[in-house]
Amino acid sequence: MSARSAAKRSPAAANEGVAVSARSAAKRSPAAANDGLAVGADPEPIATLPGHLVGRAGPVSVLVHRRALLVAAALGAVLAAAVVASLSFGEVTVAPGAVVRVLVTGGTEYDLIVRELRLPRTLLAVVAGTAFGLAGALVQSVSRNPLASPDVIGITQGAGLAATVALAGGAAAALVAPSALAGGLLAAAAVFALGSRHGLAAQRFVLAGVGVSFALRALIEIVLVSADAIDAQRAQIWLIGSLNGRGWTESAGVGVVLVAALPALAWAARALRTTALDDDTARGLGARPAARRLGLGAVGAVLAAAATAQVGAVDFVALVAPQVARRLAGTERPPLVGAALAGAALVVLADLAGRRLLAPVQLPAGVLTAAIGGPYLVYLLVKGRRS
Amino acid sequence: MTAALTTVDIIAGYEDRTVLNGLSVEVPTGRFTVVIGPNACGKSTLLRTLARLLRPRAGTVLLDGADLHRLPPREVATRLGVLPQSPLVPEGVTVAELVARGRSPYQRWWRQWSSADAQAVATALRLADVADLAERPVEALSGGQRQRVWIAMALAQDTEVLLLDEPTTYLDLAHQIEVLDLLRRLQRDGRTVIAVLHDLNQAARYADHVIAMRDGAVVAAGPPGEILTAALVRDVFGLDCVVVPCPVTGAPLVVPGAGQPQPVIDEGVISA
Repeated sequence: MSARSAAKRSPAAANEGVAVSARSAAKRSPAAANDGLAVGADPEPIATLPGHLVGRAGPVSVLVHRRALLVAAALGAVLAAAVVASLSFGEVTVAPGAVVRVLVTGGTEYDLIVRELRLPRTLLAVVAGTAFGLAGALVQSVSRNPLASPDVIGITQGAGLAATVALAGGAAAALVAPSALAGGLLAAAAVFALGSRHGLAAQRFVLAGVGVSFALRALIEIVLVSADAIDAQRAQIWLIGSLNGRGWTESAGVGVVLVAALPALAWAARALRTTALDDDTARGLGARPAARRLGLGAVGAVLAAAATAQVGAVDFVALVAPQVARRLAGTERPPLVGAALAGAALVVLADLAGRRLLAPVQLPAGVLTAAIGGPYLVYLLVKGRRS
Repeated sequence: MTAALTTVDIIAGYEDRTVLNGLSVEVPTGRFTVVIGPNACGKSTLLRTLARLLRPRAGTVLLDGADLHRLPPREVATRLGVLPQSPLVPEGVTVAELVARGRSPYQRWWRQWSSADAQAVATALRLADVADLAERPVEALSGGQRQRVWIAMALAQDTEVLLLDEPTTYLDLAHQIEVLDLLRRLQRDGRTVIAVLHDLNQAARYADHVIAMRDGAVVAAGPPGEILTAALVRDVFGLDCVVVPCPVTGAPLVVPGAGQPQPVIDEGVISA
């Protein structure tokens, strides 16, 4: 270090300060470009990035953010506890130990209650929450905006409008979910089309989404007002978002999409690394910001629409879960795994609270998540003002 | 003199206006090239076109003879390092994390942190003199430190060419000189450095090659000692001045206001 400072003071000595002779030779041959800067010029390369863990196996290396990993482990534990609690509490309370026994070995007196009655609904909460958490993380990352999420940029409203039309039109129950899925995807397509100028600039994309979301909200109201009262009532209940009376079929609906999205999510985990940078800087690093935003946004839209189609508009999960994970991990953007686990835990807990708080009256999970989401927004506002 | 980057008759601009209209210019290999010119003359547009950030509507940009805008973005990122004008600092990112981002073009999902990455990041941190700040959040740094961190990120890219858009803006004089000294050291190590600068005297002092622009066209290009004259400054900036040899380096020194009593305002310097 001292040699460097000396070199800095005297411009004449500058050339000696950094002897990188191997560089120029290596530069001319593109094949050698990957060998890095002047091997040997630095006696102590940092073996790992501060705050990260490196996993190595031959030529394969994986870089993991240490705190994000710890947070994921902690959120995983919270989720496991929430799932056990959700399976324990109900009209009949099953001790947590018994719940675990039912799940692991079976053959207990609680098999019916836990496996047949509670597990399907809890599983749905887990998969829907996972999808919401991932969708929120993706949308917030590409828009570089903690307030953007599928329920803010119109995807949820698109699904809601399609479901409302289906319900108000007296369509068969089996058609509601597919209509909602299609509606959500159409809304996403509209947002992308409207925001597509200037390479789908982050700001523009969010504004287009907010516009689409308000327009769709108005259309939902119009359909509700003009619909038959009973159909409108059914649509209202759907719009709030509830897991009541839902289970295996709906879980499969979300689960299939989640599994199908796994390769895309693996790609996303890498593509997300440069989303926090502005477009010019990202482009300078060889990324394609517009294509990346479209790809990541599309994965998020599919996940959000798939989950909304099955459980309705469980608001705020996609907004809150990624930010909870991000704040805990201290990362520049929501960590994917953490956001998924936080989303799952949030929906499981919201559904459990909805079932038990005013029992025997059941509150839809969507009411509970909205009740958490409101104060959370106020918190963001207060925190933003302070800094 | 070979050219690292060449533009041939490029027409470039933004949706509603054309900024560069048939501009041809060469950036010599291994030299420190500085682009000067008044506000809105197209300096940044030229730099963004050279950096592959902006695709020209017509004409070609050549990187060592190959069409820059047809090369794969990742390959370009291993050959051209770019520092945009005011890059966005991601919230909560540490210096080392940001500098490591410069390795993106070399990384794949199965190779996220190679020994070459570790080596290049360590070297970049040291060259830009920010190794001591490695674990600090970038947001917490001063403007001068931050600028050196961004330069370190571009250095981690390990490219033969570095392009910088007004790297000294918002820095105090000492930090401006620090950044320019660093750029000159990097150039002397064998890199081609191209920067947009506002200060003519800094351009004269640090550049081997100056490109003077006005209204989207090149007015003059060459070594500062040859082209930086009072006539050129009047032509490019509409400013009367006297050019004298700098007492420290002998490079041209532009002193505004050639004895005329009328006030001339330029770049915040008012002389009567």
